[in-house]
Amino acid sequence: MNYLTIHIRIVSAFVIREIATRYGRSPGGYVWALLEPVAFIGLMSVLLGAVGRLPALGTSFALFYATGYLAFSMYKGMEGYLVSAISGNKALMSYPKVSPFDAIVGRFILQAMTSCVVTFIIIYAAMWTTSQPITVQWSYIVEAIAFAWIMAFGVALGNTVLFFKFPLYQKIFEIVTRPLFLLSGVFYVPSHMPHPFSDVLLANPITQVVVLFREGFYVQHGDTGLDMPYLIAISTGLLFVGMLLFTVFPVARARD
Amino acid sequence: MIRLERATKEVRMKGVRKMIIDDVSVTFPRGKSIGLLGRNGAGKSTLLQIIAGTLELDRGRIIRQGKISWPLGFQGSFQGNLSGEQNVRFVARIYGVNTDELVAYVAEFAELGQFYHAPVRTYSSGMKARLAFGVSMGINFDYYLVDEITAVGDTNFKRKSQQTFKEKLSNSDVIMVSHSTGTLRDYCQTGIVLENGQMTYYDDINEAIAVHESNMKRH
Repeated sequence: MNYLTIHIRIVSAFVIREIATRYGRSPGGYVWALLEPVAFIGLMSVLLGAVGRLPALGTSFALFYATGYLAFSMYKGMEGYLVSAISGNKALMSYPKVSPFDAIVGRFILQAMTSCVVTFIIIYAAMWTTSQPITVQWSYIVEAIAFAWIMAFGVALGNTVLFFKFPLYQKIFEIVTRPLFLLSGVFYVPSHMPHPFSDVLLANPITQVVVLFREGFYVQHGDTGLDMPYLIAISTGLLFVGMLLFTVFPVARARD
Repeated sequence: MIRLERATKEVRMKGVRKMIIDDVSVTFPRGKSIGLLGRNGAGKSTLLQIIAGTLELDRGRIIRQGKISWPLGFQGSFQGNLSGEQNVRFVARIYGVNTDELVAYVAEFAELGQFYHAPVRTYSSGMKARLAFGVSMGINFDYYLVDEITAVGDTNFKRKSQQTFKEKLSNSDVIMVSHSTGTLRDYCQTGIVLENGQMTYYDDINEAIAVHESNMKRH
């Protein structure tokens, strides 16, 4: 049997296994993949909706936070899930048939399918809460998701190797990226921020993903700060570096 | 057939380096079971991992023809929250064997009864071992890797597993690490002695055992 068929077979076995084990012992199992973001977006909309009268864009707090949070999760959810693909399945690497890359691809496919389903459901639900009809422009949304995944895949591949080789780097990375959620334009519009600060925010490629994702929902006048060449360069650059690290340093040794 | 060509492997453990094999070329012919001998810490288990493919060589290469098992009775991969049956399905899928057949085979072999459908975390260690052994026996390999054969279960189960394993060996070979020369004589026809990074192949297991024992006396 050729390598591709074996790879596809093992990856599908992984996907089935991950569905059964991901939410492990919590009652309801995989439903939590949907409930978690719904609860979070709902809570934010209620809390912040009580303070302000209108969101920064559009008329619905729920849609504004949903677009921000879901775009951010396209990156963060994928990256966080992929980076533990090998360490979380270390025991399986004792099966000679299973290679570390199978685990990563399996998780990528599962996370991609899950986040797409979750995003569709939440976005459509949130659109009910707007008073003005919204024309969704899918090309922006698809592009934003693609860049988020490319970046997440690259960062996760690289960090899989680096976390293994330098445990101290893992700690530092975790601390440095913790405020990422606040700095990615999830609950504000970066171009509305005061001048030097808005440039800093827009230099964050994940902010760019969020801005691009929102282009699909809101018609905005003036400069949104979206910089496509920058986003393309950063995401493909991260992908390249990640794949390079993963290829040069055999993670097969991480089996021990 | 399994062949090592100018293979070198050094392991590093907490700063200590140890040369396991140094520029070794050796062929394991098909059709004969092989006993691996060597003093404690010589690297017999590491060598098994290299043969299995879970460890990579530093230099040289290994050529494998035929289907090679994971170490017999390996149970580390069982997911505690999945049932025994679900775990078996996973192994069947990654090895590309018929899932339903393997599930049925292990159900009969491991004698877990109702526990087969319960999460593995509720199993006793004996039940886990029976499950693991059943999975290993349910898939046909050309080579079975054995790191210290351990008998599990009660007398009846021991007899049954021994008999099944012996039957398997009419079509398959075993590569075995054991400290018991009796077990090695029982299962293997040929032997390999691992000493100071060198591997020497002996056509006759008794000869290999004799060499190994004289090695042990020298220190």
